[in-house]
Amino acid sequence: MNIYIPKNFKIVKIIEETPTIKTFTLKPLDGEKFNFQTGQFIELTVYGVGEAPFTPSSSPYKTDTIDVTIMRVGRMTEVLHSMKEGDIVGIRGPYGKGYPVDEFVGKEVLIIGGGVGLAPLRSLLLTLIERINDFKKIILCYGARTPQDVVYKYLFPEWKKIKGLEILRSVDKCQLGEWDETVGVVTCLLDKVQVDVKNSVAIVCGPPIMMKFTTLKLVDMKFAPQQIYLSMERNMSCGLGKCGHCQIGSYFICKDGPVFTWEQLKNIPEPFE
Amino acid sequence: MKLLISYTDFIAFIKELEKEQNILYFPLSDNHLSNSLINENLENFSLINIRTIEPVKSLFFPLKENLFEKIELRQRIVVGIKWCDIQAIKVLDKIFLSDYVDENYKNYREQTLIITADCIYPQQTCFCSLVGGKPYVEQKDGISDLNISFVDENNLILESFTIAGEEFLTKYFQNFDEPTKTEEFQRNSNREVATKKIYSYNNEFLKEEDEKYYKTLKHTYELDKIWKTESEKCVQCGGCNFICPSCYCFLIREASKSHSEQYRDKVWDVCHFTGYSRAAGGANPRKYKYQRFRNRYQCKFVYRYENFGFYACTGCGRCIEVCPAKIDIRKVIRNLVLAKGEEALVRK
Repeated sequence: MNIYIPKNFKIVKIIEETPTIKTFTLKPLDGEKFNFQTGQFIELTVYGVGEAPFTPSSSPYKTDTIDVTIMRVGRMTEVLHSMKEGDIVGIRGPYGKGYPVDEFVGKEVLIIGGGVGLAPLRSLLLTLIERINDFKKIILCYGARTPQDVVYKYLFPEWKKIKGLEILRSVDKCQLGEWDETVGVVTCLLDKVQVDVKNSVAIVCGPPIMMKFTTLKLVDMKFAPQQIYLSMERNMSCGLGKCGHCQIGSYFICKDGPVFTWEQLKNIPEPFE
Repeated sequence: MKLLISYTDFIAFIKELEKEQNILYFPLSDNHLSNSLINENLENFSLINIRTIEPVKSLFFPLKENLFEKIELRQRIVVGIKWCDIQAIKVLDKIFLSDYVDENYKNYREQTLIITADCIYPQQTCFCSLVGGKPYVEQKDGISDLNISFVDENNLILESFTIAGEEFLTKYFQNFDEPTKTEEFQRNSNREVATKKIYSYNNEFLKEEDEKYYKTLKHTYELDKIWKTESEKCVQCGGCNFICPSCYCFLIREASKSHSEQYRDKVWDVCHFTGYSRAAGGANPRKYKYQRFRNRYQCKFVYRYENFGFYACTGCGRCIEVCPAKIDIRKVIRNLVLAKGEEALVRK
């Protein structure tokens, strides 16, 4: 099998998360299982339009289908958003290195997501929930631009019931009376969390600017560089460490990441550009 | 195995090879890389030039490759490529054969017998000495199956480096003798002359490769101003990328009609182009020309060196020759090392 050729998947369900974000549930046409490690990514093809990298947002424990949560932002996602249940897309992968979940055992896990960056973190969260007693506690800090931009609105009530999982949310701005949680950028949630820094890990995913300031804040809070995990993104084309597009310093994000520790990236100039 | 053979016999042998069902790639006297498929007249075959104008990468990593097409399995023989070409293949092997194996690349490589040749007349643009190279190939350099070196204008030494190379020699050259000590000595002194010539062409930069020199380049990253000056003349034509024997960047171009009528190809890409690192929504980690220009230098001399332990620049000088703005990669590096205040590393 040529490594650059995708397998066909059928869109079996579409959830409209926000006006610009949809979650697609995809099922392999050949009926085979799709195994991946949380945090790994796939290359998704809209035939005749293009191929782009996304990280599944579903639990890796679920292997008959995968979910991908995608924002309409470019040429390929524009067409994807117009597709219907039953349509066929292509998938290659999974690729790269995911979250080293076993290294989080016995620790407090602080998850910080911004906007659609919650997608890979949802997959991680679902993985952690499966074995929640392995972790001291899990804290999810999630920031969106406005209350309308919050993804997975329907999942939060369930998540809030889970013992051992704390959830803090913020929006950058909102109308009066529209939001009864924190207003402000996601980093201000970090002032409110109770976390035993020495025995914890922090996992960050979101837009570049949010990743940058969150990392700086975590460093300020005395998180060691190797305790901070970042989900990096670039325009990976091959996904296999060959085509060169996602080069960051001497790493290829697709092969050496997409999950990196700050320790790996801190000496690379402008990693969040 | 080592044999002495006359140039005339060698040419006769090349003509014989062409008659068989092999695809033969060979250099011409005008320095182009030709092949037997396009019926090039073998009268123009020449071994004495520097590396060909076209990079050898296109034999294994074509400019455009249909990913659904099964490649034809046919023995190919490439004759007369140089140390710098070998070095480039090493880079490509690292990229295409590690982790996930690129099947087409692997097939092309396995089907190709590589016959290298010594460089006897290096040119001003040659700088293999600056990246740890030399104008001839030895067994320890790898990749090459068989090497041709020069005793004098009429006599060559053929030397096999691999089992395939040895079998080839046994098959085609039964009645030839080993070279004498004197002939080998003559060959070695030709090599020395060529090496010295390359040193003399590169005196204003360095004489030989120096790790510290390129380590300094890593630390010039933040010298934005100098990078801006050095890249000012660059017109971003991509010529250096395309002609570089070790530039391996490509794009997967999705052009299917539908999921049941798929088509996609792998095409060479250029890191100097604005769209190269642009993501959906317009974000671009290398928005400005100087950033892309800098990235190429860092890629070749810093990043890949960190990954592989050797440079992704082979010193072939093709980029110097092709550049319409006359940008000389050697001068750019020297200027940056100087701007970093490391005069001692430059003036030897």
